[in-house]
Amino acid sequence: MRRYFLLCAVFCFAGLMFSSAQELRLPDSATAGDDATIPTTGSGKATLYVVGPGISRKSDINLGEEIHLAGQDLRSAGAYLVIVCSSTCADATLYVSAAKPFSLAFILHPSRVPVARNDAVSGVAFPFDQFHNLVQAPQTINFELGAGKSSILSKSVRTQDGAAWFRASSGKAAGMVQVVASLGDISAKRALQQVASDPCNLRITGGRTKNGITVQTEPVHDCTGNPVPDGTIVTFTAAGPQGKTTVDAPIKQGVARAQMPVQGAETVSVASGVVIGNELRIGALP
Amino acid sequence: MRRIINSALRWAAICMLLASTFSYAADANVQVQMGEKNASPRALEPLTERAVLRDFRFAWTSMAQALEFNTVDPLQGPFEGDAKQSLKNTVLNQQRSGITQRYGDQNHRVEAVFYSPEGDVLELHDTAEYQLQIADAGKLVHDEHVVMHYVVLMTPGADRWVIRQLQAVPHF
Repeated sequence: MRRYFLLCAVFCFAGLMFSSAQELRLPDSATAGDDATIPTTGSGKATLYVVGPGISRKSDINLGEEIHLAGQDLRSAGAYLVIVCSSTCADATLYVSAAKPFSLAFILHPSRVPVARNDAVSGVAFPFDQFHNLVQAPQTINFELGAGKSSILSKSVRTQDGAAWFRASSGKAAGMVQVVASLGDISAKRALQQVASDPCNLRITGGRTKNGITVQTEPVHDCTGNPVPDGTIVTFTAAGPQGKTTVDAPIKQGVARAQMPVQGAETVSVASGVVIGNELRIGALP
Repeated sequence: MRRIINSALRWAAICMLLASTFSYAADANVQVQMGEKNASPRALEPLTERAVLRDFRFAWTSMAQALEFNTVDPLQGPFEGDAKQSLKNTVLNQQRSGITQRYGDQNHRVEAVFYSPEGDVLELHDTAEYQLQIADAGKLVHDEHVVMHYVVLMTPGADRWVIRQLQAVPHF
């Protein structure tokens, strides 16, 4: 009788052990959006928990059968903790990596830049998969700056830690520049407005009129020959025996003009921003 | 008199609770240290680094609160974009399944690996150690000290740095 009870106890214990014996063997790698299958061992009912980025799932499973994780549940790259509990719990972590690049996040600075400025333009690109996961695996991104059909810059940069960047000087001609970051057949386009730089060789001419003096600039260009945009302020200063008179005038159609109500002999100077032009001496009324 | 004292005590308790909920230093157990490697191509200035660490710590504190108490409110502010959406989905799923996660004794060692030339994107590598507890309807089903690696993208917001991407990886 005692032997019978002992045998029963051994069988019961073995049964318990068997029903709870479970081991999770996860796939070596998983990709975002793809299905994953996890085999289980043992027998009996168990509870499955899957906790990961964007998911927190609990369901009943049968030990010994495969656990099927749908691609829809594994869209976010990251760590998924898989727990199977019957009388005891077993767990394992499944790392899901980003799928292939689908889009580029491209940030370009600035959107408006003066011409011929060293290291004035910079851009950063991050490749993302279709589920908005950052693609960490190295990719080669091409950055191209072009105005019309001419190319200003073409540069291939390998992503490091998911990021690729470039820095470049602005071109010499004012106008719209298209900046493209591309990876295979994926591309992101940005527009960059190159504007004339500070005026160069600012020169004025002028003369006396009945009401004072009139001065005007020659057509205002920057140092690479681009016309300085209309609206740029030019400051005329007349210094004479009666003191200083200053007039600000915007450039209109490439030229700035000013009328100054002064009667004596005057020395007129001109400036725009930090650039100073020539001086003009105008005599007093006879 | 006793009623007045009781009322005062009750208000004090409510104030303390609110202060602990909304304070930046809500969880003193979240430790964040910046590694010695400096970011490139732009250097991370000391004041910026301090702000980043403060906001990173606050983000983890908020995330821990959201996942422990199954509420999305703490996620407003420190997270944006996909990171926020993903965490929101986790919380909503947890509300349905009755699961809660607790991130205890957090210790983060952070390296700034990329800081864009204009200072508008910062990439961090975070080696995080914490005690992860998962409970189902209050019953503990998982309790483990884990070391995780996270790739984090942060951008400057109006008044703070926000996390836009929080992605766990097996290693850097």
